[in-house]
Amino acid sequence: MLTRIAGGRVVDPTAGRDAVGDVWIEDGRIVAQSDPAVADRAPDRTIDAAGCIVMAGGVEVHSHIAGGNVVLARLLLPELGVSEPGAPNPHGSGSDVGQLYARMGYTTAVEPAMPPVNALATQLELAEIPLLDRGGLCVMGNDDHLLQLLRDRAGAEAVRDLVALNLATSRALGVKVINAGGADAFKDGAVRFSLDDEVPAYGLTSRTILTGLLDAVETLKVPHPLHVHCSNLGLPGADDSLIETLEAAEGRRIHFAHAQFYAYAAVDKDNPLTGGFASAAPRIAEVLARHPNATLDIGQVVFGQTATISLDILRQFSGRKAASPRKWILNAGDAEGGGIVPFRYRDRGPTSSLQFAIGLELMLLSPDPERTILTTDHPNGGPFTAYPRILHLLMDKEARDRELASHPRAATERSGLSGIAREYTFSEVAQLTRSGPAKLLGLSDRGHLRPGARADIALYRDQPDRTAMFARAHRVLKDGAVIVEDGEVVAWSRGRTLSLAVEADAGMARRAETYLQGRFGAGLSSFSVPDAAFPGRAVFEAVPCRT
Amino acid sequence: MTAWIDGQAVERDAAVAAAAALLAGARAPLVAGLCAEAAAVQAAFDLARAIGASLDPAAGAPLYADLGALAAGGAMTTTPAEARGRADLVLALGRAPWASGLLHDLAAEGPVRGRAAGRPRAVVALGGPGDGGVQHVAYPVDAAGLPASVGLLRGLVAGRVAGPHPLADLAVRLREALYGVVVVDPAEIGALGTEMLNGLVKDLNETTRCFALPLGDPHQGRAVAQVAAWSTGQGPRVGFGRGHPEHDPWRFDAARQVAAGEVDAALWLASLPAPLPAWTRNLPTVALLGASQDDAIRGDEARVVIGVGVPGEAFGAALWHPGRAAIAWHEATAPRPAASPAAAILAEILTQTSADLRSGLAGRPAPHPEPASC
Ligand SMILES: [Zn+2]
Repeated sequence: MLTRIAGGRVVDPTAGRDAVGDVWIEDGRIVAQSDPAVADRAPDRTIDAAGCIVMAGGVEVHSHIAGGNVVLARLLLPELGVSEPGAPNPHGSGSDVGQLYARMGYTTAVEPAMPPVNALATQLELAEIPLLDRGGLCVMGNDDHLLQLLRDRAGAEAVRDLVALNLATSRALGVKVINAGGADAFKDGAVRFSLDDEVPAYGLTSRTILTGLLDAVETLKVPHPLHVHCSNLGLPGADDSLIETLEAAEGRRIHFAHAQFYAYAAVDKDNPLTGGFASAAPRIAEVLARHPNATLDIGQVVFGQTATISLDILRQFSGRKAASPRKWILNAGDAEGGGIVPFRYRDRGPTSSLQFAIGLELMLLSPDPERTILTTDHPNGGPFTAYPRILHLLMDKEARDRELASHPRAATERSGLSGIAREYTFSEVAQLTRSGPAKLLGLSDRGHLRPGARADIALYRDQPDRTAMFARAHRVLKDGAVIVEDGEVVAWSRGRTLSLAVEADAGMARRAETYLQGRFGAGLSSFSVPDAAFPGRAVFEAVPCRT
Repeated sequence: MTAWIDGQAVERDAAVAAAAALLAGARAPLVAGLCAEAAAVQAAFDLARAIGASLDPAAGAPLYADLGALAAGGAMTTTPAEARGRADLVLALGRAPWASGLLHDLAAEGPVRGRAAGRPRAVVALGGPGDGGVQHVAYPVDAAGLPASVGLLRGLVAGRVAGPHPLADLAVRLREALYGVVVVDPAEIGALGTEMLNGLVKDLNETTRCFALPLGDPHQGRAVAQVAAWSTGQGPRVGFGRGHPEHDPWRFDAARQVAAGEVDAALWLASLPAPLPAWTRNLPTVALLGASQDDAIRGDEARVVIGVGVPGEAFGAALWHPGRAAIAWHEATAPRPAASPAAAILAEILTQTSADLRSGLAGRPAPHPEPASC
């Protein structure tokens, strides 16, 4: 069936396109009108896009939508996940999550924290998120097997093979490291941990673990660069941690998760923990401009009650006393485990307001919106459903000024936000939410509207209220089929889970089998994610490695 | 034969049709047991949503001792493998740890990872029967019971209870351990006792490391809790009577609901062994029962009985793995290609009960009619 999306303002920065025109679709893919197979044919279906902005479907790179810790957050805070009729909840079921993303025009979402020891449950949960294509990043960097290999100087090939084995066994799309060594240090009593601190029991620094993983991801040609959650998240002076980590990458590709939580310059450099913080967004934007190998996502803060969910158990433990309501979970797991600390970002609070301002500042100072991707680190900075409002603020200086005026003065005094005149264009919005994240994940079939792309497309009614515009897409197509009309789901497609096609080395598989049997009394098969776990469905789609 | 209606052997398709008719015609159906592989539990949630049923796992009561404490105050926990690798002190609380194989494993070895590596591992007990095979130090339980003793211990650790006390020495041991682990069955000490224990463990972490290691129930409860959380946003005792999931551990307690006459039909799902409640014979019930051999089911357990394959035996399945404290893949140990998985039967029942929903996506909610705020 040939479909024509007719007469919309088509925005595709990857093709330098921002003009009224058509988009043609056949067999779930975008086709060129000049294609001989299409030319001169009348469309079987025409979708009127007059008055609409037409973009590729949105792509989420970092949102905690599945896994043991997301489950625990729901069990810790039943009140937060309550589902009301007609009002899906971003803290609620997978079905609600898929629905809420789809109606904002998002068609792909990645869960960034899948521990290999809990891969099966995470993948079962991801598969229950409808409407979207999904993927998970497998987390390494605190697991005993990896740390043993590094400690014993087993060599870069052994580390590479273990990373490949974990990717293949958990059916992940990429690799993430979370405060490398920090969880291990926490279990040995540490409460502070930085890049050059040693994991006591292994005599390894965080830097050694990080560089081992950076090398492995590069050698394996994993499309998504190593996804890094640095040490010292949320502390004044955390900007130093992020920049040290970036320098440690020495030109290798690296992605920084939720950079806003590190864009905190210590006001008193001699007493960083007591003097408070000011925005380090200009510093980070400047460093990013000089390092084309680096990308980041924002971790924008929005106001209200949320739950923070992290495998950085050292950081979650230090944050426990700020829990609101006053209850929290910390699981010292087989590698990281995880911590859940409920938190309320107060719109009248100077700290929350400053965090809010810093996130916007990071995006508005961005040297390249494709490399400063919009996230709220859902639910850590707040729910992903805040994206429409955030885009509105990026596009509208006046709305921003009004918003800032309603917050404590710290937000303006300790950040440069009020002095920034930039207003995002639609092309820049598409870079921030489509082409940037798709390139980052190495998914060349999405994030753009060029021929050959998957027909994941969002149409938004162009209206001055950008919040309303992006909250409820006029139409959303997934693989060429309409799944949302006027902001409501009309067809419950189930999407696929994207997993990297990577070969595991047989020698490492044997070595891991012995290791796992000794440690867990269960071998590799117990950690696997076979198709048979999803009876009656074809869930996975392979994504090739870089060539 | 693997299917029965009113005790009479029938073709499976006839039993599926009877099951669908029984459930579709119910005003307030119940889906219970849920002692099954993840795919079948998932299918049961999908079915419950479609027919407006409430759910309660066989593991409901013990599970909610844990979940209740969790929702009240949170927890600080570790895993069996971390306890084996790191603990220099293991406190067995109550009787249940002695009935688990875990305590024997812990007593047989010492810590090999982390800062306690190479130290001896001490096993101490509060309120348990002990075991001649496990060398341990036993502490007496206060006359007021085990939960009260945990409260006392918390007071001693925090320095709020002063003076000589039979548990003072235990408090010192906990404070001095580098990686203490408290093995406990939340069902044995109840939600309040578990909450007190979680407080004790959190207090200890102000100066050292100590974690609770809750023993799971034997009926897949902790796997069901996960499927429930991602299917409904809540724990497993939910009702779909009003279309959207409502969580209420008291209201949707299956035993209470049946006793109060609030349920008019039920589905009992147990592809793995679970004690059959008496009500399956009194209330119009569909029972999906796992059996290694066809003759293990009598056929009179409920109005409609359908035999299903045992997961992890007849076919590979995602099941709770107590040693790993995770949902894990279990290969088939005695493959029986002819055995029907419960998930497939439930999908057939769903198809027959909800022809309307099938026009959308089986098991998915119908699109919500009203707008939501974003
Ligand atoms: Zn995150």
